[in-house]
Amino acid sequence: MLGSGSSSVSLLVARRYLRSTRRDAFISFLTFTAAAGLALGVAALILALAMLTGFQSALKEEILARTPEIEIQLPTATGYAEAAEIRHAVTELPEVGAAQLVTRGQGWVTAEGRVRAVELIGFEGELPASFPEASDRAEGLYLGARLADAWGLEPGQVVEVASSKPTLSPFGPQPRVRRLPIHGRYASGRTDLTDRVALPLEQAAGLLGSRGYRVQVATGDLQKALVLAPELDGLVPAGTAIRTWRELNRGLFFALRLEKSLMFVAVFLIVAVASLALVSDLTLIIASKRREVGILGAMGTDPGALRRIFTLLGGLLAGLGVAVGGAVGLGLALFLDRTRLIRIPTGVYFLDYVPFDVRPFDVAVILVATVTVALIGAGYAARRAAALQPVEALRR
Amino acid sequence: MSVAIEATGLHKSYRDGERSVDVLRGADLSVEPGEFVAVVGPSGSGKSTLLHLLGALDVPDAGSIEIGGTAVAGLDPVEAARFRNRTIGFVFQFQELLADFDALENVMMPGKIAGWRSGRARDRALELLAEVGLEDRSDHFPNQLSGGERQRVALCRALLLEPPLLLADEPTGNLDPESAVRVFDLMIALQEGHGTTALVVTHNPALANRCGRLLQLDGGRLEAFAGASGSG
Repeated sequence: MLGSGSSSVSLLVARRYLRSTRRDAFISFLTFTAAAGLALGVAALILALAMLTGFQSALKEEILARTPEIEIQLPTATGYAEAAEIRHAVTELPEVGAAQLVTRGQGWVTAEGRVRAVELIGFEGELPASFPEASDRAEGLYLGARLADAWGLEPGQVVEVASSKPTLSPFGPQPRVRRLPIHGRYASGRTDLTDRVALPLEQAAGLLGSRGYRVQVATGDLQKALVLAPELDGLVPAGTAIRTWRELNRGLFFALRLEKSLMFVAVFLIVAVASLALVSDLTLIIASKRREVGILGAMGTDPGALRRIFTLLGGLLAGLGVAVGGAVGLGLALFLDRTRLIRIPTGVYFLDYVPFDVRPFDVAVILVATVTVALIGAGYAARRAAALQPVEALRR
Repeated sequence: MSVAIEATGLHKSYRDGERSVDVLRGADLSVEPGEFVAVVGPSGSGKSTLLHLLGALDVPDAGSIEIGGTAVAGLDPVEAARFRNRTIGFVFQFQELLADFDALENVMMPGKIAGWRSGRARDRALELLAEVGLEDRSDHFPNQLSGGERQRVALCRALLLEPPLLLADEPTGNLDPESAVRVFDLMIALQEGHGTTALVVTHNPALANRCGRLLQLDGGRLEAFAGASGSG
């Protein structure tokens, strides 16, 4: 009975003490500083993580648009016929939307005396989905828009495509070269480190020799692709490597997660400092309420309930700061994302504005972590109140 | 409701820098249920210390205290808090009210701590405030009340749970003579009306003489009061 009574008393007293913090100028200033610090920390965390997530989402979207969902790399000894059979078998699976035979290797594109190292990707059938925004996806040679624009190349013009694999001739090793007309262009990604050139599989196989075939599988759903990948094992010969979009970008995705975690830790320091301000604020409040703590003790408030009063007071202050900070952070993030107010000069980055992507999970982590740290600080300060002997507190 | 107090061989000393000050040196006290006892003595004689020990706010270095059959010195902090809440009503010299609560809420506080429903605590608190003539001041905060009014509120608060023991430490020490008499009158009336055992520490011999029994704390021991010259 006393326990439940003392809990409600703790909350009642904590709420009154929260109101009374306005009376004393020093306490009022410290209280404002602590709550405002927590609010600032929460708002900064929400904004920083939303901005980072916005950039990362855009980057991932950009990367994933240029990455096959699943790539089956067949052993180099696998011939075209066998590769085509495997592709057919994969296409038969109900989850698979499309499967395409491709081959990849390094090479160069030359036109009018200019040369550029490129990645050659030979494809069968339609231009693969990893070459976005092509106006027409029929078989042919496709260049990235960036390269085409830089060199002033138009569809119909002929370029030379050379492979790094030489052919032995009576005059020594000679590069393998094909003269091919440009069929179309696709949108270059600003994240592409090397230009990619798509060309018909037959031409690419001729240029690259027995580099090995790959089957690129599309399901239309990234998560479904992750589930499907292990099931493909039974359809392929030994020595085949099956990689999903996640494995193909493992290093990058890890770096992005790491970047977000480090950003969280760095900005969370604001919350840590604000929590220290909260500890000093509560310590000052406890010192100013010393005699009242003694009276409450004399009336029968046990040490646990006394500690709860000041922990709850800290919790209420933290709650206030977190609520204000959360509202400001969320409001600003949504406003800045919607209005695209912060612009980036076009051409510098793969976006021309700073995106803000607020994830509920991130917000929940920020709020829980902030309240937890503030409560730990408050609990630490509140121990002083619980440790105060009523007789000591009452002594003038 | 009332309880008996049995305290024997109470010793208590404090450290004052390098020096140890023996405040109580084997004080014995025996109070019958329902008795009103005043303790007088010069400043620093250990009156407040005695009250703190009897009120389970502090523990003696040696000796035993039994209040209503409960050995007070052996209680842990949580048990001591519960014991204070249920058994003892305190009145202090400086009308120690909680500044952020109005008069009614201050009186209700021990009931809230005991887990009483708000309605029950409120009804009882209003009855008590009416008994001391403060029914129309119930929504005033301590800083809006006079010293005498604050002490009357403190008295109501001490009696809310109808504790069997009332301990008052210089309850009139900070009041003007008129208010002091009024508060003391009330205390006697309430003590008689509620049948509470009461122990009052006071400097005021005139008021002390109105109590059922008068004890003097001298040299760390309690003895029957010898005369007005012994009080400070």
